[in-house]
Amino acid sequence: MTLPSVRDALRVWRRNARVFSHVWKGALLPLFLDPLFYLVSLGFGLGTYLASVNGIPYKEFIAPGLCASAVMWAASFETTWNTFYRMAESRQYDAILATPVEPEDLVLGELLWAATRALVYGTVFMLVVCALGLVSSWWVIALPPFLMLGGACFAACGLAYTSLIPKMDYYTFYFTLFVTPMFVFGGIFYPYDRLPDWAQAAAWLTPLYHLVNIARDLATGPEAAAVAANAAWLLAVTVVLFFAVPARAMRRRLVA
Amino acid sequence: MSVDAAVVHARGLRKAYGAIVAVDGVDFTVGRGECFGFLGPNGAGKTTTMKMIYGLAQVGEGRLEVLGLDVARHRREVKARLGVVPQDDNLDRDLTVGENLLVHAGYFGLSGADARARRDELLEFAGLAARGRSDVRELSGGMRQRLLIARALVNRPELIVLDEPTTGLDPAARRGVWNVLAGLRAQGVTFLLTTHYMEEAARLCDRLVIMDRGRIVDAGAPGELTVRHEQPDLEGVFLHLTGHGLGAQA
Repeated sequence: MTLPSVRDALRVWRRNARVFSHVWKGALLPLFLDPLFYLVSLGFGLGTYLASVNGIPYKEFIAPGLCASAVMWAASFETTWNTFYRMAESRQYDAILATPVEPEDLVLGELLWAATRALVYGTVFMLVVCALGLVSSWWVIALPPFLMLGGACFAACGLAYTSLIPKMDYYTFYFTLFVTPMFVFGGIFYPYDRLPDWAQAAAWLTPLYHLVNIARDLATGPEAAAVAANAAWLLAVTVVLFFAVPARAMRRRLVA
Repeated sequence: MSVDAAVVHARGLRKAYGAIVAVDGVDFTVGRGECFGFLGPNGAGKTTTMKMIYGLAQVGEGRLEVLGLDVARHRREVKARLGVVPQDDNLDRDLTVGENLLVHAGYFGLSGADARARRDELLEFAGLAARGRSDVRELSGGMRQRLLIARALVNRPELIVLDEPTTGLDPAARRGVWNVLAGLRAQGVTFLLTTHYMEEAARLCDRLVIMDRGRIVDAGAPGELTVRHEQPDLEGVFLHLTGHGLGAQA
């Protein structure tokens, strides 16, 4: 296993950042409106009938989770459709790998970029949620680094899948069987405390569950130990997955 | 020529993908300042040989040294000193013409004012100075090819690998690319070039090898080859050596 060069990974990151600087106005809006619609529909709609969950007004209960979901969608789109386009359609990876950049650097650069983009989406949504007065703790200002960590974890998942599939059509499965179920079962819309243990155990296996817990903890007053445990889960899964799947599979795929 | 002075030195180079043998034991040595050609039909193993040189394919068997380094062990170092013009256009469609050069320079560690100066120099060289801010999708085929060549020069490479640099271009655009390459040759740059155009091989190459079905069937200067096989041109040489024309699939 070749260790990636962070310096070369950042060169790939800079290319993506440059492209994003051209398109951000058009790109930011749809992915940002999505969680906003859920917030309005469920928080202000359903929330009118549901007074509170675990003592927290329903709007405030789901708002931090929707920051986490903004991160998930952003990192997932970036490491699936966008990454596949660069790899297989515009053949960018062939151009990049003919320079000193190696496949592991390339994958790390994509991961860091997707995490950065997720950080932008998650933080913008966090600011909206704060402006709407849906946050009760100042600890929320510590949230962005965790949003980036969560973004890196979703990016590792997306890159692992991308490195293995032969064509773009397979993303339907990724979103239908992985991303959407996390969104609805990841703990954004209801707590797991009173559900059967197996349900919580299943949720524990997904990155979103941990990021939602961190976001909610920081938005409502932190429990440091819980935040640390969830962050450790995200970091461990990101690192292990990165080296186990996309870093290896991309080398096999691109340098046959 | 001594092996030490060689820019590329291959011995018993072989590459198989499963049961398909793409390159079947080739030997060649390219000297500094040479324009060295690989002539052969599609499927002869030219592209696979190029990809092993510039790091997009692993060396199967045999030895391959580029710029005095074993490519199997020094990929990064070798790639830092090469320029590559790929067979398929892989310009970055999300960036402008100028940004394509700037970002590519970034992969080699060139940034800031140095990278911008290099960009301007290369846009001028490729006759694209007026198109720096254009979308690459707006360029003609000939312009895109010249941009690909300019991109391959960002790191001032010691060796340039061109994989079928004029395939798909009309005659005027092809001449435009030849002029660009002639300019580089005058500067003493070493070239490795694959082509299936006889005229291109005869015009550009100091020496060439003729490849067919993964093997080198003969090697020499274009004039030497025509004399040796008593043929009027390279096309005749190729037919004489392989028993089939260049249009035939191997």
